[in-house]
Amino acid sequence: MGRFRRALRDNAVPLALLAPAVLVILLVVLLPLIFSFYTSFSNYRLIRPDSLWDFVGLRNYVRVLSDGDFWSALVRTVLFLTVALNLEMLLGLGLALMVNRITWGQRTMRTIMMFPMMFSPILVGFQFKYLLNDTIGLVNNGLQSLGLASHPIPFLVDRWLAFASIAFAEIWMSTSIFAILILAGLFAMPRDPIEAARVDGCTNWQVFRHITLPFLMPFIYIAMTIRSLDVARAYDIVDVMTGGGPAGRTELLWTLIARTAYDDARMGQANAMAYVSILLSIFFTWYFFRKLMSARKHLGAF
Amino acid sequence: MAFVKTGLIMALASTVLAAPLQAQDYGKFDGYTLRVKLIGGAQYEPLYTLIPEWEAATGAKVDIISRKSHFELDREMKQDIAAGNIGYCAFSSHTNFAPQYAAMNQPLDDLIPAEVIAEFSPLVIEHSTVDGKLIELPRHSDVSNIFYIKSLYEDADNQAKFKERFGYDLAPPETWDQASDQAIFFANPPARYGTHFAGKDEAITGRFYEMLVAEGGKLLNDDWTAAFNSPEGQKALNWFVKLYQEGAVPAGTTNYVWDDLGLGFAAGNVAYDLDWAGWAAIFNGDDSNVKGDVGVALAPAGASGKRTGWSGSHTFSITQGCDNKEAAASFIMFLTSHDAQMIEARAGLLPTRTKVWDDVTAEFAEKGDTFMVEVFNVWGQSMRESAFTPPLIPEWGEISNALWPQLQAAILGDKTTEEALNEAAAEVDQIMEDAGYR
Repeated sequence: MGRFRRALRDNAVPLALLAPAVLVILLVVLLPLIFSFYTSFSNYRLIRPDSLWDFVGLRNYVRVLSDGDFWSALVRTVLFLTVALNLEMLLGLGLALMVNRITWGQRTMRTIMMFPMMFSPILVGFQFKYLLNDTIGLVNNGLQSLGLASHPIPFLVDRWLAFASIAFAEIWMSTSIFAILILAGLFAMPRDPIEAARVDGCTNWQVFRHITLPFLMPFIYIAMTIRSLDVARAYDIVDVMTGGGPAGRTELLWTLIARTAYDDARMGQANAMAYVSILLSIFFTWYFFRKLMSARKHLGAF
Repeated sequence: MAFVKTGLIMALASTVLAAPLQAQDYGKFDGYTLRVKLIGGAQYEPLYTLIPEWEAATGAKVDIISRKSHFELDREMKQDIAAGNIGYCAFSSHTNFAPQYAAMNQPLDDLIPAEVIAEFSPLVIEHSTVDGKLIELPRHSDVSNIFYIKSLYEDADNQAKFKERFGYDLAPPETWDQASDQAIFFANPPARYGTHFAGKDEAITGRFYEMLVAEGGKLLNDDWTAAFNSPEGQKALNWFVKLYQEGAVPAGTTNYVWDDLGLGFAAGNVAYDLDWAGWAAIFNGDDSNVKGDVGVALAPAGASGKRTGWSGSHTFSITQGCDNKEAAASFIMFLTSHDAQMIEARAGLLPTRTKVWDDVTAEFAEKGDTFMVEVFNVWGQSMRESAFTPPLIPEWGEISNALWPQLQAAILGDKTTEEALNEAAAEVDQIMEDAGYR
């Protein structure tokens, strides 16, 4: 106790200066978290404020964990995340390597590359919804006019096409995040190891595989961490394009949670779902951070 | 010529807008600011151009703090209730959703004079009454009937082929079985489909619900358990399944909502469309591919002999916490007054005041607009004889959300109709149990 008081006295000024920030964080972050965590154990419905005090124990969690729809949304979200992140990474890497080789107009290219990121996800959703519409959509009309299809292709209805369509929209919008971060890595890359490797007679592929790529890996994992959090929360694009449907074929965690919370007004159950799905985000963040650390060790950065 | 026409329309519009609406005394609320949340969107906005007249007549100001689509507004109001943050006086509501806002609905029986209520259609007032209390003042109603392309039905070749294939004369469908035959007969994708339906959200639940009732089934039993997973329910759902599997409706129809239907029919993509009258003027207007070729007919009947008639009304309500309920009552009476309703009725929105039905029909007849006269006759008959609402309980939205993904699953062939309805029924039973009905 004596030691604690001494520590307190010695650090009184910094502690006093930090106190408002800590208080604000407690109020803004911790309180809502505690509140929503509590509601996940209640029968809280938005339209019946009294139901906040209707404590139901683990009922919501039992229901969520035994609900097939929830699990399929979770698995679909993981699949969505895997497909989107990997393709974004590959395309972003390709784009960055190509832009890196441009000697004239590179800055303009970099700006153009960032255009898709500047749109609101809702606009991107509408854009693809209309492009892929089965009757008035540009893609279907184009395919039919060129004689490549005799019947409209139900891009937003068919099980796999619908999934591919929402993944495509997500990838179209966010590949440039990878490209920009990887490009930053390429700019920061020392030229000496590459030149040394070339003198030693390495092929282009060997240089890329053993020097460029390991150097870029930390940048890739940072992009992966940021994007995994984004994609795990994917909502706007999917909500606009398919609303999670039809028949739950494109249902992701957050389309399901938002519908339960607001349209059904079952906030308690929705919060239980949200807490289960946060585990998913925590897992991916932990996984990519571990990868990031080992990639840095590999480079000898630490 | 076009210039003269535009001039005429503008002159007509300005006389309409300039016509005095304050035949009734709306009271004096000098310096008061009335805060309201209103539904927004192309078909709802023209009414709000009248608000300055109410302000001029009463000395009050109107502050529209939210103007959003129905579904966005619904979410917002649920959050307002949860947060106890209801700092406004009047809001746009809907008969089928109003029971959800029980925590903020102010009963209107003492605020709206009985003689004003008596001027509304009794059925619509009944739909606006929950637990014996009037909780909203109806603005315009909604029920769906058939729009069809006349030339397709009148074509001699079509008539002969149809009779040969189905054994009866081709005419606008009287029953849903006939409607199914005709949709399959007219389908010639991708150029034309037989029909289409809104395939998600409350839109498909509502369509299923009205078919269920027309087939003689019901949604819930008297003990509030699900009753729709019955043979009647299966028959109703099979209607959609069959058309989808036969390719008589567009493959994307399960993603369609109301706008897709209206635009699709106006583009001439389908032979018939079950829709609300709000599209009538557009279907027969200059931007429509089927202008002058549109027929209307009553919605078909199911096996019970009853016609489908899922209905609801857009309404205005007052909040319990309103600090000037008289001003709010005056405002919503103004927006549902005879002349205000005439403005919406001219666009095809169905009035809730009995006299407006007669007056707007007479006005169309005088202008020689026989199409709109027919529209109002058909939809008027439907409102009088067939209209019914879903159960007026707060859980309607949740029931709908339990149903529609299962309906889609059956339509797309992921589940049989029986499986889909049984799964939805189990979910609905749980919803009703959680809500304390059992």
